[in-house]
Amino acid sequence: MRLELNNLCQSFGDGPLFTIEHLQLSSGDAVHLHGPNGAGKSTLMKIMAGLQKPTSGQVELTPTAKESVLQQAVIYLHQHTYLFDMDVRSNVEYGLRIRREKSPQKVNQALLWAGLEHMQFRQAHVLSGGERQRLALARALVLDPALILLDEPTSNLDAESVARIEQMLQDLHRRGTGFVLSCHQDNALTKLCNQHWLLASGTLTVQA
Amino acid sequence: MYNLWTTFSAALAQLWSGDPLLWGIVAVSFSVSASALLIALLPALTTGFMLAYFRFPGRWAAISVLNSLLAVPTVVVGLVLYMLLSRAGPLGDLNLLFTRPAMIIGQILLCFPLLVAMSLSAFQAADHRVLETAKTLGASPWQAFVTLLFEVRFALLAAVVTAFGRIIAEVGSAMMVGGNILHHTRNITTAIALETGKGEFVQGVALGIVLLTLALVLNISLGWMQSHSRVLRHGD
Repeated sequence: MRLELNNLCQSFGDGPLFTIEHLQLSSGDAVHLHGPNGAGKSTLMKIMAGLQKPTSGQVELTPTAKESVLQQAVIYLHQHTYLFDMDVRSNVEYGLRIRREKSPQKVNQALLWAGLEHMQFRQAHVLSGGERQRLALARALVLDPALILLDEPTSNLDAESVARIEQMLQDLHRRGTGFVLSCHQDNALTKLCNQHWLLASGTLTVQA
Repeated sequence: MYNLWTTFSAALAQLWSGDPLLWGIVAVSFSVSASALLIALLPALTTGFMLAYFRFPGRWAAISVLNSLLAVPTVVVGLVLYMLLSRAGPLGDLNLLFTRPAMIIGQILLCFPLLVAMSLSAFQAADHRVLETAKTLGASPWQAFVTLLFEVRFALLAAVVTAFGRIIAEVGSAMMVGGNILHHTRNITTAIALETGKGEFVQGVALGIVLLTLALVLNISLGWMQSHSRVLRHGD
């Protein structure tokens, strides 16, 4: 799978927020997206996930370019994960229920992978910050996405939780799922990345 | 001079005896109000959602008009509807005056603004990430809307309970467009007004007990729903 951004322009108010002539991302890529506050990192990720329409330009998924397919192949995780007001297991099942797919085995595997199997019937809102991020990743994993876009996934997490998320991302990458990680500073997660994108002053620079 | 305690005891006895006339009046009230609520619910929720999530010219004017309609007296709604439905009115040919459908229309007009206003504040208070999370997990716009309804369900239930409480207890519109016809359009409130006017307090008190019990049940439900109503924000 390949995600391509062509002649993308996003405005904010009267002026342009950023412009990107061409950008390409494959499912095996691991990208660290960084830049100053307000540069448009979250907006860019939402555009890539099909959650927001750019002011102009195209986001194309190869081989398919339908918006609904884009939303299922590329999953965006908010900086502060939103969990539905249901138990942990039902949160993981959400995407499958939307697809009218019943796969308890897949759900069990995802819960086990995230280390949440022992609390699967607990209400999601009582989880700690680290557990919430793990649940968000498990909820994405069951849908076999090609790309996961993580917006500041380590903010307010302790070192142990960051290490756990790091293991999970490594594992996802081994399975062939690409990811884009938006982080202000270098940390354990950014070391997993093989590409670094800097979004600043309205332009995106791909760094070595 | 009547004795309060004797009247109250007689009213309880009348309720307990299962008096078909009395319970028939209660049934009219419930069927009319429940029908009005069911008809108004989905359009009101959709309107509340659109006002909360879409920006269009006239949006603030629409919200102001809806908020103003919250305070409209029930007799004014009854008066306007009477003028529309009376034989000389523009909708006179429909022959709806003094029928249950006319009462239902009146109660729809009364509960619609309330449902819209309360659902609008429920949707505005809802976390903006609900729709984005649903969509990124593959939900269609309709499925995302249903997910949002689920997430704010307690606040919406509170709106339904409040609206039901308002319309089942209203007397102005029901009296004017229903006509208070026994076995057809006589409901709890119009019957209480009639019986009190005649000096027959027993049936009025019995029906009053039904309304007060209902108000108590609705308030307890509302309190329970409000204690369960919460919007998940940043790890709450």
